[in-house]
Amino acid sequence: MKKVIALLMAVIFMCLGFAGCGKKDPAKDVENIKKAGKIVIGITDFAPMDYKENGEWVGFDADMAKEFAEYLGVEVEFQEITWEQKINEINGYKIDCVWNGMTLTDEVKEGMSCSVPYCINSQVVVVNKDVADKYQTAEACKELKFAVEAGSAGEEMAKENGFEYTAVTDMATALMEVKSGKSDAAIIDSLMAGAMIGEGTSYEELTYTAKLNNEEYGVGFRKGSNLVDEFNKFLEEKTKDGTVQNIATKYGVQEALVK
Amino acid sequence: MTFAEQFTIVLQALNEGFLQTLKLFIITLLGALPLGLVVSLGSMSRFKPISAVVKTFVWVIRGTPLMLQLMIIYYGCSIWSGGEDGRFAASAVAFIINYSCYFSEIYRGGIQGVPVGQQEAGQVLGMSKKQIFFKVTLLQMIKRIVPPMSNEIITLVKDTSLARIIALQEIIWAGFSFMKGSNGIAGQVWPLFFTGIYYLAFSGVLTILFNKIEKKLSYFKV
Repeated sequence: MKKVIALLMAVIFMCLGFAGCGKKDPAKDVENIKKAGKIVIGITDFAPMDYKENGEWVGFDADMAKEFAEYLGVEVEFQEITWEQKINEINGYKIDCVWNGMTLTDEVKEGMSCSVPYCINSQVVVVNKDVADKYQTAEACKELKFAVEAGSAGEEMAKENGFEYTAVTDMATALMEVKSGKSDAAIIDSLMAGAMIGEGTSYEELTYTAKLNNEEYGVGFRKGSNLVDEFNKFLEEKTKDGTVQNIATKYGVQEALVK
Repeated sequence: MTFAEQFTIVLQALNEGFLQTLKLFIITLLGALPLGLVVSLGSMSRFKPISAVVKTFVWVIRGTPLMLQLMIIYYGCSIWSGGEDGRFAASAVAFIINYSCYFSEIYRGGIQGVPVGQQEAGQVLGMSKKQIFFKVTLLQMIKRIVPPMSNEIITLVKDTSLARIIALQEIIWAGFSFMKGSNGIAGQVWPLFFTGIYYLAFSGVLTILFNKIEKKLSYFKV
């Protein structure tokens, strides 16, 4: 009896490891989504792009995603993800696209098929208010020790500028590093900086100074997905008829739109 | 927004997160406690191929980070949906497998710690093998394993936060969300540290519970 149970367990474990690892074809994403009747959008809570209001996801990206779903004739489903897992999420078919103010970095472009850019943002240096005057340019910031989010556009900027830095799990941790004095500065994007630091936050003593770059936001799809072309067509159409401009104005990001 | 308003919003989010933590904790225990016994019997099997397979399995599971196991189980298999339910199911499976391996070693220690004389006494009394295992060995084993089990179970309370890696929205996830910005609250660190109070309170309750169980079982003194 004991032996039979044990053998059974061993077999079950083995099967579990490999169960249901069937492959789907990304070139048929549009067809698969239409068949399933829904598109799953991978997001994080990131105002003003995606955030919850009365239990519903809104924001520039969220509203655009709803438009896109309507364009495809399917339901939209938002799923919060852990940001550093975005490529695993999409390759594992847990989500259909990453649409969350995502900077088109080399990592993103390598790991996913991306849309044309729809927004332009920049990476900024965050330091303590009392030393902010000294560090208004990237050149002056060279002597600082940085904390950046691992795998983010901020990390790339730190590398490019030859900054000495520590990679941490997310932007919030990077800011905590600066606040606690473990690092002198952090690099985060300007949309984020507007919401996360300054008056009324835990980081009142922090401010942002040097602008390091201009970067583009795009939507990421599975490598080789035929959703990319579908999205680009959608974007062109909705830009022409003014929908994009209207939604952007609603959330105050109209300045960042790609003209 | 005043602090009182913030506090209400944060508390609600943390409560929701804690509910998820609690659910994962309970389901893991319900699955891993019996499965661990099966695994431990397997590793003690006198039929060599079985004990070898089970021992290798235990080695792999205990020897690799739970975080990796979560990722492999969730992203590696298409049976889990992308929604919160799929994430929960995958987390539960990963935790049950992982914890049953740890529990199995505790069970093994407990079973092997019961003096051989006890089994011999059972044989003398004419009990069947099954009777001896369930009525003599197992019962005495339970008393022996309470302290190491309570240790492992309290570790489990806190380990549930690892499920954050596959975006299960448990309490640490909820705490973190207010740093990045959520529900109109951004850049706040205190909700994250406030989650510690939930963990403390819960493990306090468990500690009291385990002390009670230990007292109840003390009549088994051999």
